[in-house]
Amino acid sequence: MAKEQQIDITTTAEALAKEFKEHSVAEFFKKNRQMLGLYGKIRSLTTIIHEYVTNSLDACEEANILPEIEIKIDELGPEYYEVTVKDNGPGLTKEVVGKAFGQLLAGTKFHRLMQMRGQQGIGAAGCTMFSQMTTGKPVKVISGTGNGKCFAVEISIDAKTNQPKLSNYKEFKRNFRGVAVRAKFKEVLYKESEQSPLEYIRRTAIANPHVTIKFTDPSGKKHIFKRTSNKIPKKPKAVKPHPKGVTVDDVLSYARSTKAQKVISFLKNDFDRMGAKALEEISKKVNFDLNKDPRSLTWEEAEQIVKAFRETDFLAPSTDTLSPIGEEQIKKSFQTIVKPEFLSVVSRKPKVYAGGFAFQVEVGIGVGGEAGRTLANGEKKAEIMRFANKVPLLFDAGSCAITKAVQSVDWKRYGLKDFENSPVTVFVSLVSVYVPYTGAGKQAVADIDEIVEEIKLALMDSGRRTSRYLAALRKEREKQMRREAFMKYIPEVSSALAKITKVKEDKLKKKLEKLVLDKLKLEELEEKIEKARAEARGKEVKSNAKESN
Amino acid sequence: MPKKATKPKRRLREKRTKGPKEIAKAIEEIAKKIVREINSSKDPIFVTKTRGRSNVSFDEKTGLIKLGKKTTARNFLNIGHARKFMQTMLVMAKTHEYLKENKTAAIREIYYELKHTLGESKENTFEDQSESDACIVDVEHAVDTIRERLNLHANPKGSLYGDITLRDRMHNNDTFNCLKLGRGGWSIMSRMEPEEIEIRKVNAKFVLVIETSAMYERLVEEGFAKKHKAILIGTGGQAARGTRRLIHRLRYEKKLPVIVFTDGDPYGWYIYSVIKQGSMALAAHSEYLACPDAKYIGMTLDDVERYNLENVTEKMKEGDIKRAKEMLDYAWFKTKEWQRQLKMAISKKIRIEQQALANKSLSFVADTYLPEKIKNKEFLD
Repeated sequence: MAKEQQIDITTTAEALAKEFKEHSVAEFFKKNRQMLGLYGKIRSLTTIIHEYVTNSLDACEEANILPEIEIKIDELGPEYYEVTVKDNGPGLTKEVVGKAFGQLLAGTKFHRLMQMRGQQGIGAAGCTMFSQMTTGKPVKVISGTGNGKCFAVEISIDAKTNQPKLSNYKEFKRNFRGVAVRAKFKEVLYKESEQSPLEYIRRTAIANPHVTIKFTDPSGKKHIFKRTSNKIPKKPKAVKPHPKGVTVDDVLSYARSTKAQKVISFLKNDFDRMGAKALEEISKKVNFDLNKDPRSLTWEEAEQIVKAFRETDFLAPSTDTLSPIGEEQIKKSFQTIVKPEFLSVVSRKPKVYAGGFAFQVEVGIGVGGEAGRTLANGEKKAEIMRFANKVPLLFDAGSCAITKAVQSVDWKRYGLKDFENSPVTVFVSLVSVYVPYTGAGKQAVADIDEIVEEIKLALMDSGRRTSRYLAALRKEREKQMRREAFMKYIPEVSSALAKITKVKEDKLKKKLEKLVLDKLKLEELEEKIEKARAEARGKEVKSNAKESN
Repeated sequence: MPKKATKPKRRLREKRTKGPKEIAKAIEEIAKKIVREINSSKDPIFVTKTRGRSNVSFDEKTGLIKLGKKTTARNFLNIGHARKFMQTMLVMAKTHEYLKENKTAAIREIYYELKHTLGESKENTFEDQSESDACIVDVEHAVDTIRERLNLHANPKGSLYGDITLRDRMHNNDTFNCLKLGRGGWSIMSRMEPEEIEIRKVNAKFVLVIETSAMYERLVEEGFAKKHKAILIGTGGQAARGTRRLIHRLRYEKKLPVIVFTDGDPYGWYIYSVIKQGSMALAAHSEYLACPDAKYIGMTLDDVERYNLENVTEKMKEGDIKRAKEMLDYAWFKTKEWQRQLKMAISKKIRIEQQALANKSLSFVADTYLPEKIKNKEFLD
């Protein structure tokens, strides 16, 4: 009886577990579609492009290959599209391809403290699931490793087991290296907007100057973004938390999972920048024995450790854990793609935020030329480009710390009187071993003081350079306006005088024009002389100062 | 009553005004000078007289407010002047055309005639009438004439009643007597130049200028004009240019003495002073518009006691008191009597309206007040 009962219980538990599992993947997906960015017709399509492009870029960089990505979107019917993405990466083996495209949460990126584009590995498989749910069709994948051997396969996901289902596997010969994926989606919409795949691709190209992307939109129009740099960014490293700013809770949770046997070795091995001198200082500051088992640390003791961290000097987190875009690279791609009249780029030094995570901010301000967002009526509006780990953030701008930082800058001080309506593109890139997103949609950076402050400082620095340029531009424009004003009035004046005096109007007009131009030239000359004088005076003051020293 | 032949102490010949040809010529001279400057690569400059208090003074000798000698130069090559320079040239050319073609226009008409967009821009030659009005004043002063002589005119205001025969030379030579136009009399035009309105015959001994229309109507109704051989002119507040020009002409062409009758308050007294000495705004034209020997009959604050009008005085407002204080300092109010009058107003803080005389009776003003004062030559000077 007892035995029977036991079996019974086991069966029930197994059944429950099985049932739970069967439902889990589909349920998980449905519940989390929102979280995964696969909602909203335009947003879903952009997210799909994002997932494929991100995978391709990561794969190429991992294999030290300069990425070249071809993207094509075809309209098959109303709200029905086919997406093709092809890269020149290392390609996938038959063993891996199923996991990559047919198993949710199979990625290796989850819970790693390292600067990566994606952090949840829902990517390509999420798209497969989405395709499957909206069209019932599998996705087609072709992969080659460049040795002449290729294979094609169709992949779908078994919703019950979260296992990939491969079909129509075919091997063939072609000198192709990389992965090409083709998938069909319904409930999506291609529309050119600030949040369209095109804008996503454009911004990806700006933040990834080493990438060439060719995009064919549903109307057949080709958009080519050529790489402006041949340097593959160095690989970011996985990193230990930095002692500055870790919380008591962090310390306790790290202590629970450490391999170290003693607190002292836990501190030495599990934290970044922990030298012997620092350890000695910490040991003096705490009132318990650092030889105890880290797992037995109490809240109070962890509190002492954090306090000691605060009072001890550490080196800033090692910068080689981060892979910023680089000032020169940003300049080149920004110039090529945004085409502003003036550009100033500032790359800040790496900093740490709350959890001891390194982050680095790079900003660019482009003014004039083709900078800014152009409305249908030709008017210009300010454009804010947000990037986290080189991925463009197109959605949830309102709740993003980057937007907040941009808006907190007093742009009037930098010569942009009406920021919102100025032809300006503000580029903000945040790279971090752990980007604090507001939600799993990964479209907004959480409002963390250190980050907002750092972005603001970078923008102000860049703004100062911009304002100098704008002041010169304004002066030039004023001159232009004056010239235009004179030229507007000259025909009126000469016609009036001609009417009264019967002098030839044409002759008078030409004379007046010459008079005005001569006058303006003279003024320019005087200005130059004055400037030279001022500079000479400046030098004099400097040399005098030197002498007195 | 003053005799018709009263000889004004001061020069009584009207300043000779320039004819249309002369004025056209003056405009041509200014334009030629600017063209010469352009041709010799010099800055094109338009010169006019400076207006405003800094360039206005009271000439004791003539009894007129006069404009000083300060001039203002407008340089086309100065971006701050360029637009106004352009506008001035347009006004000059247009008035030159009016003079040549013997046309006249209202200042609002010349504004509309000259208003257009500049080339491809969004800018207009004139954005509103105040801009063209300012240029007209500039041209008047540069050419040393009045706008009426530029064949321009503003809105007319003022009425004329009495045994006076006029001829409108611009309108079929219509000839009419202003005693026979009904109670309203004749509407004084903005342009009252002899070339247009000719004063043919006057059968009167003096001109009575009246501030309020109501009092003007009262005197018409009471038959004051016929009975006392008076020309009645109602200004309806501050006298318009045409009205001032007409008063001036009656004084100088027809040698009629001018008597002014206003409310007893700073505003009314200032109306009198404008008719007598001219105004600051048109200081340059005082010689065409003012009558330095005009006489002030009332109301005065002394009338209050004399005619027992204590019950019908009004309180002066803050603005009136301030105005009175300012007027204390005006050179042309520096006479003993006027200083006393103004000080009385400031200390008593009361004013008395013309119509307060109706407190006695409707006909009191026509039967008693005015005839008595005129007979006894009780004028404030």
